[in-house]
Amino acid sequence: MAEQQSGIIARLDRLGRLVENSMLVLLLTSMILLASSQIILRNFFDSGFVWADEVLRILLLWTAMFGAVAASRQNRQIAIDVLSRFLPGRWNSLAMTLVQFFTAGVSGLIAWHSYRFVNDSRIYEDLLMGDWPAWIFQSVIPLGFALIAYRYLVFGLASASRVIRGKRAIA
Amino acid sequence: MIIVSLLLVLLALLGAPLFAVIAASAMWGFANTDVDLSVMGIEIFGLAEVPILLAIPLFTFAGYLISESGAPRRLVRISNALLGWLPGGLAMISLAACALFTAFTGASGVTIIALGALLYPALKEAGYKESFNLGLVTSAGSLGLLFAPSLPLILYGVVAEVSIDSLFLGGILPGTLMVVMLAAYSFWVNRHNRAEPGKFSWIEVRDSLWEAKWELPLPVVVLGGIYGGVFAVSEAAAVTALYVLIIDVLIMREVSLRQLPRIMQESMVLVGGILIILAVSLASTNYMIDSGVPDKLFAMVEALVDTRFGFMVALLIFLLVLGAILDIFSAIVLVVPLILPVAQGFGMNPVHLGIVFLAAMQLGYLTPPVGLNLFIASFRFEKSITSIYVATLPFLLILAVSVVIIAFWPELTLYFLRD
Repeated sequence: MAEQQSGIIARLDRLGRLVENSMLVLLLTSMILLASSQIILRNFFDSGFVWADEVLRILLLWTAMFGAVAASRQNRQIAIDVLSRFLPGRWNSLAMTLVQFFTAGVSGLIAWHSYRFVNDSRIYEDLLMGDWPAWIFQSVIPLGFALIAYRYLVFGLASASRVIRGKRAIA
Repeated sequence: MIIVSLLLVLLALLGAPLFAVIAASAMWGFANTDVDLSVMGIEIFGLAEVPILLAIPLFTFAGYLISESGAPRRLVRISNALLGWLPGGLAMISLAACALFTAFTGASGVTIIALGALLYPALKEAGYKESFNLGLVTSAGSLGLLFAPSLPLILYGVVAEVSIDSLFLGGILPGTLMVVMLAAYSFWVNRHNRAEPGKFSWIEVRDSLWEAKWELPLPVVVLGGIYGGVFAVSEAAAVTALYVLIIDVLIMREVSLRQLPRIMQESMVLVGGILIILAVSLASTNYMIDSGVPDKLFAMVEALVDTRFGFMVALLIFLLVLGAILDIFSAIVLVVPLILPVAQGFGMNPVHLGIVFLAAMQLGYLTPPVGLNLFIASFRFEKSITSIYVATLPFLLILAVSVVIIAFWPELTLYFLRD
């Protein structure tokens, strides 16, 4: 996909990948280190961080969202896909277009409605881990789904252009 | 309503990501019952409210890392040293090694790639028949799903709200049954194969054990820790991830620091794919429970079958079909919340349901048209998919028999759970 785009979009795309990959590495590493140190502290020093469990659960949420965004970038979301492989050329592209626009639309809707949830949480000043505003941690949900929607929109446009040019889908 | 459902099923069959299909059905349901759709955000945030989920990324990462190291080769060497002298021993080694490996790496197909690639040529060299080898390696690739700390077991525990420890205990005997039945079959098929078994050598046993000295403590610590009540499951996952990271990257240096980001990223893509489905399913499940779908389903099933026996037959047929079209993770997340209340209505223990569910789904890895193992094996060993179907068939049938036994003999699952 990226080869076809040029200039600023391609550069943004590369930057996005880099950020996602780095985030995944960072999040996973923090989870491993925090969870292990918690066990060591508890068993050998009879202590621990009171906030650790909550932070770990937030890290998990972030990992899930960034992982899901990365999965959609390679079009590697879990899917059933039994029919499309039997469809001939153009029909296949048409099906892909439909599916990808549908996915973009659904993800966009989730992004919008979870944005409203996060906004409410900001207005009502929900707190996490004692005195941190919850919306900061929750905002990964609308952000992630918006990125997924964007990715599938780009896929959908590419597939649509293949339908018009009468070629088989590539993805 | 029906048209929308059919449309969603069609989209799913055309290859729409499952998370989108599930989310769409949940939002459609909420919208129709005048629930504010910002509930989607609340439900997805629910991911951060289930502490045990932490085990999923940690075990997945550890599994990916293990399969990139020299551990598969060492595992085969030890098994060979211990069992290679038996007639038919190599087949049994393959089964045992695959089961252990899958339990730790989570049945995402890595077993066939990491272990199958070592075992397949070894079996051939030992004089086993081509089609037997293919079938064995392909079907062994998902063996071990029922053993701790396999990912599907953990996910079932999360979704069904059953204690993971009981699931781990419940899986021991049924999982062993599957391995034993396949081993017996391998033994029987090769009874005339007089290929010379290897010799038993204490020196080889010692050397192979020594070579694996860093990995050997891992199953002991993790399984001992979980079963002995020292660790919670997510703690065991953290210990495993850290330990594997230290031995593979720092001590044995089989995985370089440079490779590490790629492995982390790849494993987290799988985790993201699973957890996003779980997240939207939290929403769709809540919608379905609110609107009483499980009760209606129970009433419907009760009208069709009235005995526990009849229910079990229907359940098995349903699960076989399900396993052939859905991957195990999506199936757990989507279907378990619906059938659990029904099964309990028929007096079925939730732990037993989980083991039956996973055992039946394990067959799904091997059933056409979409069985994952079939494709991976076809790809990895460069054989046509039809030849893999044929080679796997006897193994599939034996596993099917074992699933029936597991389903109709609940005591097997519940043996270690009696008070």
